[in-house]
Amino acid sequence: MLVSGSGRDAVGQSALRLLMQRLPGVSAIDGQASTELPVLSDPPVLRSAQLVEGSVLRAIKVQAAPADIQSGFGAFLDGAQRVQIMGHYAGIPIVYGTASAAIRIRLNRRMATWGHQPPRVQRKFFLPLRYLPALGDVASFGGVTGLEIVDTSKPDRAGAFPSLHPTALLERAMRAVDDMREQLEHQLAEAWCAVGEAPLFMDGGISGNPRVASSACAIGVVKSHRTLFVEDDALRTVFGLARGERSSVFRVSPRSRSSVISWYLRVREARGHDAMWGLVRVEAAECDRPAERAEDISRWVMAEMSPLSLPDGRWDKMAYGVRDCEEFLRAIS
Amino acid sequence: MIHLEALGRVVATERMPNTPHEFHFWTAIDSPVGIGTIVLVEGAQPVDGQIPRIYGIIVEGFSYTDLQSPLHDVLGHDGSPAQAGFASTERTEIRLYTAAVLRQIPEEPLQPVPMGRVFLAGEEDVQVALRMDGYLRDGAHTGIPIGVYRAGGTDAVIYLDADFLLGPEAAHLNITGVSGLATKTSAVEWLLASLFTHFPEDKGSIAAVCFNVKGPDLCYLDQPGRIEGTDETLYEKLGVVPKPFERVEYFAPYTAKGLSLNTFRNNEALLDNVTPLSWGLREVLQFAEVLLNKDDIDAKADALIDFIKENVVDKEFSDPVLQKKHTVQSFADLDAWFRDVLQGMERKDGDSWRTHHVATIRKVRNRLSNISTRCAGLVTDSGAVSDLPFGSFADRTVYVVDVANLEEDAQDLIFARIVSKLREHLERRDLGVKHLVVFVDELNKYAPGDGADTYVRKMLLDIAERGRYLGLVLFGAQQFRSQVHRRVVGNSGTALFGRMDPDELSTPGYAVLSPATRTKLATLEKGQLMVRHPHFTQPIFVRFPRPAVMQGREGAERYPQSNEASIESAVLRSLRPLDPSLTLAWVQDITALYTEQEVLRARNATLLARPADVKAYFSSQFRKIIPAQPAPRPLATSVRSAPENDPYGF
Repeated sequence: MLVSGSGRDAVGQSALRLLMQRLPGVSAIDGQASTELPVLSDPPVLRSAQLVEGSVLRAIKVQAAPADIQSGFGAFLDGAQRVQIMGHYAGIPIVYGTASAAIRIRLNRRMATWGHQPPRVQRKFFLPLRYLPALGDVASFGGVTGLEIVDTSKPDRAGAFPSLHPTALLERAMRAVDDMREQLEHQLAEAWCAVGEAPLFMDGGISGNPRVASSACAIGVVKSHRTLFVEDDALRTVFGLARGERSSVFRVSPRSRSSVISWYLRVREARGHDAMWGLVRVEAAECDRPAERAEDISRWVMAEMSPLSLPDGRWDKMAYGVRDCEEFLRAIS
Repeated sequence: MIHLEALGRVVATERMPNTPHEFHFWTAIDSPVGIGTIVLVEGAQPVDGQIPRIYGIIVEGFSYTDLQSPLHDVLGHDGSPAQAGFASTERTEIRLYTAAVLRQIPEEPLQPVPMGRVFLAGEEDVQVALRMDGYLRDGAHTGIPIGVYRAGGTDAVIYLDADFLLGPEAAHLNITGVSGLATKTSAVEWLLASLFTHFPEDKGSIAAVCFNVKGPDLCYLDQPGRIEGTDETLYEKLGVVPKPFERVEYFAPYTAKGLSLNTFRNNEALLDNVTPLSWGLREVLQFAEVLLNKDDIDAKADALIDFIKENVVDKEFSDPVLQKKHTVQSFADLDAWFRDVLQGMERKDGDSWRTHHVATIRKVRNRLSNISTRCAGLVTDSGAVSDLPFGSFADRTVYVVDVANLEEDAQDLIFARIVSKLREHLERRDLGVKHLVVFVDELNKYAPGDGADTYVRKMLLDIAERGRYLGLVLFGAQQFRSQVHRRVVGNSGTALFGRMDPDELSTPGYAVLSPATRTKLATLEKGQLMVRHPHFTQPIFVRFPRPAVMQGREGAERYPQSNEASIESAVLRSLRPLDPSLTLAWVQDITALYTEQEVLRARNATLLARPADVKAYFSSQFRKIIPAQPAPRPLATSVRSAPENDPYGF
């Protein structure tokens, strides 16, 4: 997932002009001015998970495949999002968000865009309509500009409205953009799984969509570890994984998400780095032989670590195919 | 016409912008383009109501990946190149090309190349791109095929404009390339064949004089050579019949001994169109300054030579100091004249004669007499002349003058005199042809950029600068263009480049070419040329077919050079092409009583006259000699017998 806060496109500029006509008090922000965006992240937690392979989580050496055995992945899916604060209305941020997703397939070892489903790019304004003067017909705004307005001031599940604090409003908008990106990714992943071609390497988890989570075609590779599905000794085992070692397979069943099997895999030697260096968590659909499945997929994931995805800062965990997706999305969105 | 599928897209950045003369585009990895490929850009926005079309030729290429440091690749493969081959994914790679603009349509306003799709140029596009459409029109076709441009399935004939190759607009051609790769000579042989085939009839007649300055390369132009299937295809495409030249005349002086012709082409089987080249005093004296260096020709010597030219040669000359009247027509006559003058001065004990000091007279005698020695075989003492057919040159004929085995002095004399005569006749419009190509190889040597200002260099400069107005066109060749006089190469409207020496390419004259173009020039295959022509705004790479004439090495093996044998054998070899019934016994019988000089003079006269009855003509050249009667035997006288008892014989 690529997150960016810079850049401005012509569609957004023209939409902003229209918005300023309807909201005369809006002050635009210079496109070149940098805007510091808050970092959205869940609180770090340790969570236990049900083991599927064996009774104790242990480190398992992934059997090295012959050098000429290629990865089984046939494609890569990733999404990107960009959030821009284009203006303020009495301190309320006018947020313009762009989300995109693409599947890049591998043909003769070279990456190309999947032909069945074109890459998805969506742009929207994210406004707390509750705190703004009436814009008139919001639907007509979308008809004129081609840009939908998303209301970020709706009450949450508990019925609470967001604070008028600009940062709180901005965070709401950013989460909405995040959701928009995730939806696009799921749409493409579903389409891929429906065709049933070669396994798809998804950047991130697969449990957010039931169809994808149950498909053998989708493999999720998670690079961030705000939630670690191990505790106590198992945590030490995971941090002690050497390059080419995986953990035992366990089941991840988050609330409101689908159940999938998962395991940790160390793709680069962590000596001299922090404990999370080169550590990924792989997610796959439930299956009859999880250990064998984990063995095969781990081998594929290891194979995808070459070539390096430098200069991306997450190169220790990032597959080159994912970086290719991000570069592609950067070019088109 | 435009190919339907685009092969690239124009790109430009602030750091790498497009200009009116250059643009950049990327292609797929497997796109069939490379250095020298001609492409067409179709703009997206109309200019003055017309979609701009830009023709360009690729002059540089770049390839790179998203790799930021080579170290990243090392790390990615754990320092093992062997593992690199098994990576599941190849890095994203780009093929980025830079093209030089050949032509923009519309030509005004001249704007930077716009963004747009890039197509491979088809055959018609190539004609437009190189402005050949201007001289390939029906009714005004002056195109001379030089070769075929090939790229990505496009085969387009490249034409030179005859008006810019042979005048009057521009003229002359210069060829550069390393030796031994069959480029320079082959290219000229091919181009002459093309020229003779395609030179427009309405522009008049054309012939070529080729100086063979080294080896046997030009000695078999009338003999068929081996060509391959690919060459035949090229010949068909270029509209030239693959056959040797129909009309070729060879000229070569004799060897110093005078028995055989001093050429690789002196095999008896090939002598029928080989004419001896021999000059007498009159021919040489006009160009004496070619053979005399600056130390020789001071003002006094020059004055005496002028006096001799004006008053002595071919005139009945008498003077009180001389013992007899002289009619000087040969070097032998001239030497006799000098001897008489000097003896007369000795008799009078005088230091000067007609204002010429005795030392000057001795010096000029020494230098002039020396010419026949230095140019033996070419210059005859007798004054007999055998020359090129000035005044009756024939259309589409190649005249080869073989000077390969001659001393430098003799080569210089031949160059100077033949070219001067050609120029004289072209000025008078009585050469026999309207246009004449003169091919000279080794311009490094004959028209060097530095060194002494020789007569030959002055003459070549003169052709280069003024020849086109006369129809006298120089096709020059050399290995190192940078070492040829700038005005000679600078006046060549058309330039061909075969495979080049890297050292030569590093000289400033090639700085206008991109590094990629220079690299391509250094690695050109046989049969490939880079062409510069006034209509082409950028050099173009072409292929030309192997000449359909026998190559020098093959000819030398098939028709080995004849050795100098006996004088009778030499005479027989020379005359038998005129009369195959001649036999060695007949020649021996006729020549038995005569000196070698007389025999050679008779042979030369016969070769010059080419009579119907060779035997009768040859025999008639000898003075009558009444065979000496054997002396009568003295009458036998009786010998007195001595008395047996007379010990003293009384």
